[in-house]
Amino acid sequence: MDDNEKELSQEESLMIIQQMINTAKKEQKDDGRGWIIWGWMLFVASILTVINLHYKWFNLFFFWNILGVFTLIFLSVDLVKAFVIKDKARVKTYTKSLFDKLNAGFFICIMFNILAINLGVGPVKGFALLIGLYGFWILIYGTALDFKPSVIASFITWTFGFIALFQTDFEVVMLLHAGAVLVGYIIPGHIANREFKKITGRKLKQGSV
Amino acid sequence: MFKELDPILHSQLRLAVMSLLMSVKEAEFTFIREKTNSSAGNLSVQVQKLKEAGYIEVNKQFKDNYPQTTCKVTAKGIEAFENYVKALQDYLQVGK
Repeated sequence: MDDNEKELSQEESLMIIQQMINTAKKEQKDDGRGWIIWGWMLFVASILTVINLHYKWFNLFFFWNILGVFTLIFLSVDLVKAFVIKDKARVKTYTKSLFDKLNAGFFICIMFNILAINLGVGPVKGFALLIGLYGFWILIYGTALDFKPSVIASFITWTFGFIALFQTDFEVVMLLHAGAVLVGYIIPGHIANREFKKITGRKLKQGSV
Repeated sequence: MFKELDPILHSQLRLAVMSLLMSVKEAEFTFIREKTNSSAGNLSVQVQKLKEAGYIEVNKQFKDNYPQTTCKVTAKGIEAFENYVKALQDYLQVGK
């Protein structure tokens, strides 16, 4: 777009607006990597806890404590990037800003839940409530990005959470938790990642818009 | 009677910049250059014109010893863009 002073027709103007809005829309797409990593971490922790319940290798929450350490490491890296290195994205979208705040809120809610588990709610009901929290976040994500797999997944996740609420066996709750994160995070995460790769691949072929 | 199309916006590159900035919160100069497929010099001139018109806010800072320029549309810019689109719609409806 170098011929800046060229006389524009109304149709051309409309086309430019449409083109640029479409370009910006692509920036709103999420690559799903965060969901995949977070989902697999939760899934592995749930399944290892079930195995641990059978073989009694370590204490009951051993794998959840390991997950907690990893989460804190990831969080610290994010905080250092944001506040120390001041690593800024080339473009800041409204959705991204919303997600930054929501991620912080989600993390605080998880901390509340973990505290409640330790203060007497207990792991059986506590994990059922956690699944409910996942469902809420997945619904917001799906709605904000107009990503149907996440919207559908949120309701399935809640179903898992609802069933988990009536369980008394921690092993069953762990299996339901693994199922919930598989449906809620891992599968939509991989779908999002595949769509993202398709879009970025197309963009590379087309060059700049 | 038709409203005259805003001359600040009725230019290929300035319109592209504004359309892009309307859809995001803020964007770096290099991002805008890449998406509009323009040269740095030309984009710089057009960004300056939009800034002078009060349609965008330009922030310059240094990151790792390199200048980093970010642009953000202002309330005045949003209003101008909306009026431009409305005027454009009026023209196109009569043209049908």
